[in-house]
Amino acid sequence: MIEDLSIRLQSYLAPKLAAPDLVVSDLARIPGGASRETYRFRAHYTKNDRPIERALVLRRDPVASLIETDRTTEFRAYGAFHKLGLPVPEPIALELNTAALERPFFIMEEITDCSAGSILAPDPYGEHREKVGQQFWGILGRIAKPDPADIGLGDFDGARDTGSCWRHELARWEKVIDEDESEPQPIARAAIRRLRRNPPPPAQKISVVHGDYRTGNFLSDTNGNIRAILDWEMAHLGDPLEDLAWALDPLWSHGDPTHPAGTIERERAIAVWEKSSGLRVEPQALAWWETFASLKGLAIWISAAREYAQGRNTEGVNAFSGWFCLAFHNKVLADRLGGAS
Amino acid sequence: MTPEADHILKVSAGQLMAGVIPLLPNAYSQGSTALLAFLMLFAAEEYERGADIRAADNADMRAAFGAVTPLVGDTTLKAKLDEAAASADASLLISALDKSNAHLRALLIELQIYLEEQPGDDARAGEKRIWTVLQASAARRLLKSPVG
Repeated sequence: MIEDLSIRLQSYLAPKLAAPDLVVSDLARIPGGASRETYRFRAHYTKNDRPIERALVLRRDPVASLIETDRTTEFRAYGAFHKLGLPVPEPIALELNTAALERPFFIMEEITDCSAGSILAPDPYGEHREKVGQQFWGILGRIAKPDPADIGLGDFDGARDTGSCWRHELARWEKVIDEDESEPQPIARAAIRRLRRNPPPPAQKISVVHGDYRTGNFLSDTNGNIRAILDWEMAHLGDPLEDLAWALDPLWSHGDPTHPAGTIERERAIAVWEKSSGLRVEPQALAWWETFASLKGLAIWISAAREYAQGRNTEGVNAFSGWFCLAFHNKVLADRLGGAS
Repeated sequence: MTPEADHILKVSAGQLMAGVIPLLPNAYSQGSTALLAFLMLFAAEEYERGADIRAADNADMRAAFGAVTPLVGDTTLKAKLDEAAASADASLLISALDKSNAHLRALLIELQIYLEEQPGDDARAGEKRIWTVLQASAARRLLKSPVG
């Protein structure tokens, strides 16, 4: 199977890179989340009589996905932020036609000699936690900074005006719960009602929101340098506080919410983000988006549980998400909302 | 002594971790298999507590319905709450407990919406009572991280 994929990939890439002698080697599946099948490989070819070896990654749509995401969105986000000089892999090719590899896919540069932190690791960055933290929160601020239209992403899905960001996202994830819940979810439903009754202030601006900026979705090297921000498939336009709140969520805090994402103290993380983005964090607004973040998590885990239970996608990560993560976010929301009723 | 299912699952997960994963050829198959071992540990935990947490959830909801029903003026809702408060789990099969649980949860949502729309301290106290049930349920269902 992997040999067949390798040959088909070779046939696709040779004309794309104008390299008729291109050979694909070392194709192997790697962890990359449940929303895409991810493979690394090497492409060998000659250009101007010089031998070239490129480390590349293939991201192919799965048969069924954890959440329905648009690979075009992900590909374009990679391109826009790579050009801005953020640590984002260079996108190489996007293919929506299913003829080449049976399902849509895209190819991008592989960032080598790096690893992603596990959300279950107690201290994923060890001695580099300060350095990783400064970069992690700073890069998130840099993502919030550009006007989406200036980087060619002004047509992304999402809110178009600062007053409707919250409404747009809340409706989006409520719909996911409506469609995917297999049993009544009283905590999620109460959270939706509470958020709707108590909307946040308007966003300070409309930004590109990464949508899943957290531990596990960036690569760092052994010296604590963040080399790649990955998994842009949920990118959209909205309130930049949405990304900040998601990154601060306790699920990615490695058991210590005072050090979100397993990095620096929460107050310092927010200060780094403010300095980098040029925006300020209004506590009431952030509190709304933090509750929303846990609700969005619940929606994703509810979808994962359904995918697994119905046999559409039985990857272990779906069972893990629909079980461990769902229970975790129910607890977070019950404590947050129950303490304030 | 016959080994219980949770014991078998824990031992098997350990054998996967120590004996099988190191032999696998790449990071993807190793990571995927480690995740399967984690799921076996969760399943072991659930085997021991699964019926208990569902029965406790159901009992808590029935008790809350009984306590809050005097605050409910809507006769249709009140009748449903009274009926649910007087009900009991006839079977400890997980599937049967889940069926009751789904019915009771749906009613809990209906009650919560009703109370949120009512003015006054009594309604707030009723809401508080429901949140106590939800917090206890969420705490009960939390899974231990397999890596501490």
